[in-house]
Amino acid sequence: MPFLFEYIWCTMGKKLIQISFLSTILLTIQSCKKLVDVNPPSSSINSGNVYQNDATAIAAITNLYVNISKSDLISGGISSLSLFPGLSADELALYPGATINSVQYYYQNSLTSNNVNNPDYWSSFYKEISVANSAIEALTASSSLTSAVKQQLIGEAKFIRAFCYFYLVNLYGDVPLVLTTDYKVNSTLVRTSKDEVYKQIITDLKEAKNLLSINFLDASLINATNERVRPTKWAATALLARIYLYLKQWPEAETEASSIIDNNALFDTVSLANVFLKNNKEAIWQLQPVNAGWNTEDAKVFLLPASGPDQGGHPVYLSSQVINNFEIGDQRKAIWVDTVIQSGKKYYYPAKYKNANYNDPVTEYQTVFRLSEQYLIRAEARANGAGTGMSGAIADLSRIRIRAGLSIYNGSVSQEAVINAIQHERQVELFTEWGHRWFDLKRSGKIDEVMSIVTPIKGGKWDVNWQWYPISSKELLLNPNLKQNTGY
Amino acid sequence: MQIFATRKIYVVTKEFFKKHSQAVKAMKLIGIILFIASLHLSARGLTQTITISVKDAPLDNVFKLIEKQTDYVFLFEKELIAKSKKVTLNVSKPLLDVLDLCFKDQPFTYHITGKIIALAPRKEEPSKESKSSTEAQNPLIDLKGRVVNSEGEPVSGATVSIKGTTKSTVTDANGYYILTGVNENAIVIITHVQYEMKSLAINGHTSLNATLQIKMNNLDELQVIAYGTTSKRFNTGNVATVKAADIEKQPVSNPLLALQGRVPGLFITQANGFPGSGVKVRIEGLNSIDGGNDPLYVIDGVPFSSQLLPTLSKVLGSSGGNTVQVGNLNYGTYGNPLNYINPSDIESIEVLKDADATAIYGSRAANGAILITTKKGKSGEQKIEFNVQHGWGKVTRKMDMMNRRQYLDMRYEALKNDGISLSSLDQNSNYDLTVWDTTRSTDWQKELIGNTANYTDIQGKVSGGSATTFYLIGGGYHKETTTLPGDFNDQKASMHFQINSASNDQKFKLSFKGNYLVDVNQLPHTSSTDITEMAFLLPPVAPALYNSDGSINWELNNSLKSTWSYPGNPIAQLLNRYKNRTNNIVGDLTLSYELLPGLNLNSSLGYTDLQSKERVTIPLSSTAPELRQNTTRIGIYGNSSVNTFIIEPQISYHKEIWKGKFDFLVGSTIQQNSSELENLYGYGYSTDDAITDINSASLIKSEPTLNNIYKYNAGFARITCNMLDRYILNLTGRRDGSSRFGSKNQFHNFGSIGGSWIFSKEPFISQSVTWLAFGKVSVSYGTTGSDQIGDYQFLSLYNFINPGIPYQGITALQQISLTNPYLQWEETRKFHIGIDLGFFNEKLLLSGHFYRNRSSNQLLAYQLPSTTGYNSISQNFPALVQNTGLEISFTSTNISTKIFRWTSNLNLTVPQNKLLRFPGLQNSTYANTLVIGKPTSIVKKLHLMGVDPTTGVYLFTSKSDPFNPRIPDDANVIISTAPIFYGGLQNSVSYKGFQLDFLFQFVKQKGPNYFYGRLPGSPKWNQPTYLLDRWQSPGDNSSHQKYNADFTYSNSANNAGFNSDASYSDASYIRLKNLSLSWQLPDKMLKIIHLQSLRIFSQGQNLLTITNYKGLDPETLSTTSLPPLRVLTVGFQVTL
Repeated sequence: MPFLFEYIWCTMGKKLIQISFLSTILLTIQSCKKLVDVNPPSSSINSGNVYQNDATAIAAITNLYVNISKSDLISGGISSLSLFPGLSADELALYPGATINSVQYYYQNSLTSNNVNNPDYWSSFYKEISVANSAIEALTASSSLTSAVKQQLIGEAKFIRAFCYFYLVNLYGDVPLVLTTDYKVNSTLVRTSKDEVYKQIITDLKEAKNLLSINFLDASLINATNERVRPTKWAATALLARIYLYLKQWPEAETEASSIIDNNALFDTVSLANVFLKNNKEAIWQLQPVNAGWNTEDAKVFLLPASGPDQGGHPVYLSSQVINNFEIGDQRKAIWVDTVIQSGKKYYYPAKYKNANYNDPVTEYQTVFRLSEQYLIRAEARANGAGTGMSGAIADLSRIRIRAGLSIYNGSVSQEAVINAIQHERQVELFTEWGHRWFDLKRSGKIDEVMSIVTPIKGGKWDVNWQWYPISSKELLLNPNLKQNTGY
Repeated sequence: MQIFATRKIYVVTKEFFKKHSQAVKAMKLIGIILFIASLHLSARGLTQTITISVKDAPLDNVFKLIEKQTDYVFLFEKELIAKSKKVTLNVSKPLLDVLDLCFKDQPFTYHITGKIIALAPRKEEPSKESKSSTEAQNPLIDLKGRVVNSEGEPVSGATVSIKGTTKSTVTDANGYYILTGVNENAIVIITHVQYEMKSLAINGHTSLNATLQIKMNNLDELQVIAYGTTSKRFNTGNVATVKAADIEKQPVSNPLLALQGRVPGLFITQANGFPGSGVKVRIEGLNSIDGGNDPLYVIDGVPFSSQLLPTLSKVLGSSGGNTVQVGNLNYGTYGNPLNYINPSDIESIEVLKDADATAIYGSRAANGAILITTKKGKSGEQKIEFNVQHGWGKVTRKMDMMNRRQYLDMRYEALKNDGISLSSLDQNSNYDLTVWDTTRSTDWQKELIGNTANYTDIQGKVSGGSATTFYLIGGGYHKETTTLPGDFNDQKASMHFQINSASNDQKFKLSFKGNYLVDVNQLPHTSSTDITEMAFLLPPVAPALYNSDGSINWELNNSLKSTWSYPGNPIAQLLNRYKNRTNNIVGDLTLSYELLPGLNLNSSLGYTDLQSKERVTIPLSSTAPELRQNTTRIGIYGNSSVNTFIIEPQISYHKEIWKGKFDFLVGSTIQQNSSELENLYGYGYSTDDAITDINSASLIKSEPTLNNIYKYNAGFARITCNMLDRYILNLTGRRDGSSRFGSKNQFHNFGSIGGSWIFSKEPFISQSVTWLAFGKVSVSYGTTGSDQIGDYQFLSLYNFINPGIPYQGITALQQISLTNPYLQWEETRKFHIGIDLGFFNEKLLLSGHFYRNRSSNQLLAYQLPSTTGYNSISQNFPALVQNTGLEISFTSTNISTKIFRWTSNLNLTVPQNKLLRFPGLQNSTYANTLVIGKPTSIVKKLHLMGVDPTTGVYLFTSKSDPFNPRIPDDANVIISTAPIFYGGLQNSVSYKGFQLDFLFQFVKQKGPNYFYGRLPGSPKWNQPTYLLDRWQSPGDNSSHQKYNADFTYSNSANNAGFNSDASYSDASYIRLKNLSLSWQLPDKMLKIIHLQSLRIFSQGQNLLTITNYKGLDPETLSTTSLPPLRVLTVGFQVTL
């Protein structure tokens, strides 16, 4: 805007006016446009630049892991899958004085679309998926990254996308399949059938397997490290083995699990006390704790103080169903379970992660995939006829039992008995880890049978529809195309 | 020496001495100290008819008679009056004529200054001849002079005439006049519509300057508008003014609260009863569906924040602002920036509503503007004033909660309903019956929020100055405590100054203003709801807060666990403290230079700086003992600042052509706001005492920081044309640019046209409709905009995320939001038509305004389902929101005599908000929250049909299952929380030195009630007494479902409480908002104690509330925050 003032002041030559308007002149000499142009805030980076540079691209993908690792279990981020599905199943018991309503609803299988908001796995997973989608698009288009870095990052993004969809289909059934970044499309999607979602998961994982490094990498994505906190080809393989198991594609499950088990250089079982330590050989993918002063978030919730469970931060302990299922002599009950006696009642609680002391050195990492699960996957695949068949199944099963201080499997060798034994082994091996029990009950079809007994004990009423969590009414309000699960 | 002056406050001014050298000479001779009446001037004048019938009366007796009938007072020395001759009168004539008769034969004459009639010796002994022959004998002179107002500003357009002749002229733009051929002993009369008439004796001078006082007539009161001033009489726009006189009567610490109930179209609510609380301000409804609805605040020409940056604590409550994005997080904003302006420093607050008044503020004033003008000094002798008050506060309302017996009965009944035996109860879940002493009974409302708050306010002020330079310096101290147990308080110290100076030729002028306030607010820290909620939820049988040894009672059970409901003993919660230290500076320098007559250059340079330093301390002692093992002490240290600079050069030109007055204004704005915020979290302190020092934390973590710049640039122009004081046309235009929008949409034009027709001035009306003293119709139409969406919304940004330990040693990056580079202004088209009528010599003023504001291109944080990965995206949406309303106000001077005066003021607003258009609503994310044709603030709720008489459980209207309704399918009851009407009724009564003012505020509305969905009968929660009407046995017809202890019916209770229409009910109220009673000491007493003025007063705020609201306070509509306080103060005001 041309300023009249300047002209007047110059021609008038009045010293007084010149002084009084000096600052104005100085500013108005610039163009008007400049007066309203701003640089991005110094605390931010323009999105266009993020995937053009190795360091910032890595930082953006790394945030996917930070997101999972940072949320505490009670307030319900993705890592609270170790808590809430366990409460919904027969794994965890709720302290009667607990006043946090959401915990109560999950525990008594009394979720409704109005009270599901915390934790709301739906939104947590779709947030991760959206980052993965935009990363995949931007990385694919980017030409300025180091090729090895670019390849690893695309692999990580695809792996995370598959990881999220795996949990979504197992928590909710059919879910909208979001693969692009157009919010207009994504806000009106209908549900895609589970089968289609699984197809996409498998596609993503197969690509991820090819793209991801065979070594554990540090944050440069070039150098190898002993820190097992970034997904590798093996993490993708482990998830793929689990997917095939869930889809009952036994030979494929057997093959994928074997490829990890056979990689002795990188993976091996370790003693019970070491399974959840950081970077132990059993770990396939772990999450580094990021909350300053603490080890894992799991330990903070599950480890009960001397005063026993309480209404605030320690509302849960192990259910009698789990405790009673430990065989005599099972060292897991001794090493992974601890007790506290309060008011004459003995509370058993998960003690897989042992450090909940503020400011202790970080010695434990939250483990997402570990080798023992792969043994159990292979055992189940083999028991269903894949690979070496029943003898292989019993060998895999026994390997896990021996580590727990038990004898080799010496029960009936009928397929049903062995599969039941494997299910039992999964219950006592994988308790309070990532919702395994809830999902195992569902995929084995036993959920109705088990929960119709357990839920009334917990003070609720069971309905077979409740094996699927409801979608929050907020989501239904915002996307009229989205339909609620049956029964809610 | 004795001075005879009655009533009122008189101030000696140096200005008087300078400007009236004639009088000064005379007074020096006799040594009278002269006072000028400055307050409470009445509309009556020298033309007022008075009746006097006396025979041989002493002159001072006649004076007394005149004083009784008029506002005028006489000043004279006793020695002088002793020389007077007795007078005989039997007249009923105008005052001036009567005076002339009285003084005809006296050895002295008189001067009138304001309301003072002063006696002075005659320069020459008056001739005994008749007036006409005197005129003939006296030589004729040329008289010139200048007319200014009490602030030293020239008064243009004032009529200067010679009494008893037809000779007159009009002052020019600089207040100068020349009259030729004037009798040197004549009287000059100066009149102007906005000022009191003034008459001066020439007494042989050839130069005569005059200072005029502004009229106290309601219509002619000065009104501050954007970049200028006007009066209500000639204003084309819809502007309301609240003056210092009304603000000072209210014991409030936020000037916005002084506006409640006083301004039509303005709806103000206080967030809670803590000092420094949030205040929500809405002018003429909600224009934006979910964008900002805050008005623009301008303090002495400098724009001021309408919202604070996010604070560490929620204790202060919301001012209704949008969330602020800091890094990847969205924070709510709490508190209110106007808390950092001292109400005592304010001269007037103008509320600008329609397009005519606001369009010149362009993109920022779609929601109206509030202009705050601070006090300035007046020329005159130094004047020192103190105002001291102390008071007490209590919460406005409490709720009827169950007593001990009722609570226990409810619990036992619930357990019986669920078939739970008392013997099976365990200590962890049913501690109220198993651990606590059930014979105890505590009124928790009294215990936790029932204390008396203290209120102290001390203000001092010094002002004075010469004709060319005058100043005001004020200082204040203010302290408020809370009604909570514990030492919480808010303290403010403030300073205000204003210096105005002009060159001798009045061409160059300078005005320098500054406000500084430091506030230290120490309150309990609140992360969700404050202690008020516990005052309702705690059962009456809950244990004592303290042990007998004074330590906190945790009431441990057998397993050594605290049995207070989460989060614990409320007294322990109060150990979590919040301290906010805020410094606020508002400074402005205005320079102006008169280049040519009527042509002014003007530049204002403004600066504001609001700096907050916050501390939150969470000691271990606030946590229950059993939880301490895994808890760490937390200290949070926040620093934030917002500063604005603004430069506004302007050219204005005033020209009178033929019968019209033209005013032109061209100007430009360059503005920049910088916002910064950083919060540090400290953990791992070794003791509770060390938390205030960040250095003693073993671990320090940073939260995302804010570092934003907002730039704003505009050019504007206004033309005002006033023909014959009858037809007024006002045109404004502005071109605005804001950095908040993408490069393609940074600029936009706004404009308005407004016109007024003062039809009462038309001869055909003034002659035929004599009862109509004033009549004006005004119409305006124009556009304004809103850019209230936060900074950088068009940029797609990634922020660094660091929760504490970097993942693999690197800081992660996160995209903070979905962005839209095409963002634009939200635009509001405002139409307004108003009529102002004055009856009975303008003693009754009636004003009616209709407005219709339509906001389009809505800036929505368009809500998105989670499948997009984000909660929302900012976008312009072609939705259309309409606000219409009727604003009516009556101002009436019911009685006005010399000793008794009664005025009333009633205002009423009937607003309506409506969503007119929302393309594709059914398929949008707003499908279930908005309805075409309904207000934008609706909620959709289930319908609660009642209690099923058979099962005793709530029944809802539902397509599928009346016991288990679905949301959103069954939520079809539309409830609007927008006010249906609101207003205020003010009365002022003064009798001699007494003055009584009271203001009733009334609101008709619906709001959420305390139908809370906390399961009645479950452990730990007390309930309101209306839940006593519950289902007990089959066949019962009750309004509430059966008590339930094991959560079986928690879902239906939850649906009823939170999701049904039963949770909304009438929340209308009438409130005695303000009551003020004062007594001005009579002058005789003042003289004894050597004071110029002393006023003793008592003031009250929120004294009485009449409502049927089922909850705490119908203003806050909250059951979880402290109600506003009822404050009563006593104090005095003294002028030394």
